[in-house]
Amino acid sequence: MNKSWKSYRSEPFFDELITPARKPRAVARQVINMLQNLSKEEMHTRRSAAELAIKEMGVSFTVYSEGANIDRAWPFDIIPRVISSRDWAKVSLGLIQRSRALNRFIDDIYNKQSILADGIVPADIVLDSSNFKPQCMGVSPRYGAWAHICGSDLVRSKGGKFYVLEDNLRVPSGVSYMLENREITKRVLPELFENHSILPVDDYPSRLHSTLASLSLQGKKHPSIVVLSPGIFNSAYFEHAYLAQSMGAELVEGGDLFVSDDNCVYMRTVDGPVLVDVVYRRIDDDFLDPEEFREDSKLGVPGMMRAWKAGKVAIANAPGSGVADDKVVYAFVPDIIRYYLKEKPILASVKTYLCMLDKDRDYVLDNLDKLVVKPANESGGYGLMVGPHASKADRAKFAKLIEENPRNYIAQPTLALSTAPTYIDDAVEPRHLDLRPFILQGKETWVTPGGLTRVALVKGSLVVNSSQGGGSKDTWIVEPNK
Amino acid sequence: MTMLSRVAERLYWMARYLERAEDTARLTHAYTHMVLDIPKGSEPGWDTLVRIQDAEYVYGDRYRVFNEQNVLKFIVADLDNAGGIYHAIRAARENVRTTRDVLPGEAWEYVNELYLYAQEYAEKSIGRRNRYRFLEQIIGRCQSVSGMLMTTLPRDHAYRFVRLGYLIERADMTTRIIDVGAAALLGEDRHHSTVDPLIWASLLKSLSAMGAYRREFGPQVEASSMVDFVLRDANLPRSVKYCLNGMREELLPLKNNKSALKLLDRSRRKLSRFDPGVSSREELHLFIDVFQAGLIDISAEIGSTWFLK
Repeated sequence: MNKSWKSYRSEPFFDELITPARKPRAVARQVINMLQNLSKEEMHTRRSAAELAIKEMGVSFTVYSEGANIDRAWPFDIIPRVISSRDWAKVSLGLIQRSRALNRFIDDIYNKQSILADGIVPADIVLDSSNFKPQCMGVSPRYGAWAHICGSDLVRSKGGKFYVLEDNLRVPSGVSYMLENREITKRVLPELFENHSILPVDDYPSRLHSTLASLSLQGKKHPSIVVLSPGIFNSAYFEHAYLAQSMGAELVEGGDLFVSDDNCVYMRTVDGPVLVDVVYRRIDDDFLDPEEFREDSKLGVPGMMRAWKAGKVAIANAPGSGVADDKVVYAFVPDIIRYYLKEKPILASVKTYLCMLDKDRDYVLDNLDKLVVKPANESGGYGLMVGPHASKADRAKFAKLIEENPRNYIAQPTLALSTAPTYIDDAVEPRHLDLRPFILQGKETWVTPGGLTRVALVKGSLVVNSSQGGGSKDTWIVEPNK
Repeated sequence: MTMLSRVAERLYWMARYLERAEDTARLTHAYTHMVLDIPKGSEPGWDTLVRIQDAEYVYGDRYRVFNEQNVLKFIVADLDNAGGIYHAIRAARENVRTTRDVLPGEAWEYVNELYLYAQEYAEKSIGRRNRYRFLEQIIGRCQSVSGMLMTTLPRDHAYRFVRLGYLIERADMTTRIIDVGAAALLGEDRHHSTVDPLIWASLLKSLSAMGAYRREFGPQVEASSMVDFVLRDANLPRSVKYCLNGMREELLPLKNNKSALKLLDRSRRKLSRFDPGVSSREELHLFIDVFQAGLIDISAEIGSTWFLK
């Protein structure tokens, strides 16, 4: 047995696999017992096998950079993260509830705006946001669904309680890593799959396909679906290619599509123009259509918005969905759920201070050393300040930024993020995690069993982004043994 | 089965570049061999390799003299030379990178490994010591890619454009290989009864066609029958005729193929009318020039009919 299991201590943080008495939690007992019985050499062998698997799959999955290096954004940790299906069932319901409410909200904002009229969410927060696209006013996509693919970031804190950290409603990525991670674990720790009933994740592409197909406005049985990618230089290109291939959809770039006088979208093929029914776009709103958004965009398709508004093509996610993907709007999601669904929010949100409000701003400026400050609509972990870890100079810098542009900043208390055993060098050590499940919203709503777990590999770090020293783990939703 | 114009274009060029890398490696291999075989003083110059690529201009920008070292660097490792081996492999890889979704999974793996190999060894393989091994590796690896593609691709549009790319490039390269012989022997002083057969034999070897030739014509290689064989034998897969016939097969199922077929048939007629038995070396060289221009027209027509404008 690897000695580090004996000295494993994650206190004061909640560990998802190991109890404070250093016993495996019930849900993880088999995994931990098995791993504890592996010798140091055996652990090494498994890790090397994982590295080899990544390299082999990387060749077919991943875009190589100019050198021989695999441009894989997240290093992989072989110890899976295990969550019981009972816990997950509740999270899953919470995510569905949230997705329904957020879609109702987006639909309302671009139509009646009753939530603004009723004063539940301040109108200026929404209408002044750069994510609000007036070009989308009056559009009603099928099923009232706008954010068809949502990636919500969850964390667990004291007692293992789940919190939603943010909802990514524009072009969330990472799902291919979730699928790839499972493939790797199957190769590296196959014996674990014999004794467990682990919910499979590999039907995601077919679920995505049915969701997209259900959006087809002409109600065709076999609509023509394309994945619109910015191209090879985008960091998520391999995911675009992977999803297109596994759905049997065409992977297209802007130049492959055009909008004709009949307002229909066509792709240029060797047999002439072919009608497109559904566009799963992986480019941002701003680049989607130079006629309506950024004129200098070479990535998009002129007339795409025209075709969408004319009801000739379905776009996923619908343009303008990002209006609900704003850290200021996030603060109102519990109210949004109550307003549209008349239900109590199932999943907790993190207390959020809006710097635009005088009272909140005063509190934030007085407590910068305790809070995490985030820009309202950036992603990727840039421009973020973790108060307790920040230097005096950084805090002063953020104080100035907040005073200059209060609308653009929010602050949240630092959560005591949960940990899980992670294999670092030769030892097993606790590391902080988050989780990004994906929620599909078309005719039906569906949540991935689990999602992409990201882990902060740097000791004590709370930042899990790949650009900031993050790794990933396979995530298991496990049925209790009968 | 939908085939995007952009994807068709990239598949076509992927195949052209792979064939170019392989054929240039074959030619360089044979040429090196030939130079070793021919008595000192009678051997053709290294400039021939540059000239048959029509690359004198690019070469002149980069090097002053046509010596073995410079020419081999230019042909094997120079990224500015569009006819160079490393350049062709890199270009093929770029095209596969963006068409992986329509190719078998191994395609990217193989081509990427080929690229990594060339990246590591191209520069080190200019000298004679490592050159053979490198060129043989390139030929073998290119053949595993084409073999894998030909035995796994469904016979749909993707296959058609891949095959068109392979065949048009091969037809072009085969004419260039013949042109090496013509060029090497054009100089009046160089005409040499013991050297001639050596040159033609090494060119046949570069087309992997020595055995087939022997079975047809016997062991002694003779210029006009060799030229006739690689230009007009319908059964030799690297002959020009075979390539043009194959292109015809792939053009037929495509929509809007009329202009491309017309140009192709024009080239096929020219080929069948040309008789190497009664042509001088100058006439052969001239024929090849005109014929290559015809291939350029066909490629341009394929581009304007089926690729992104």
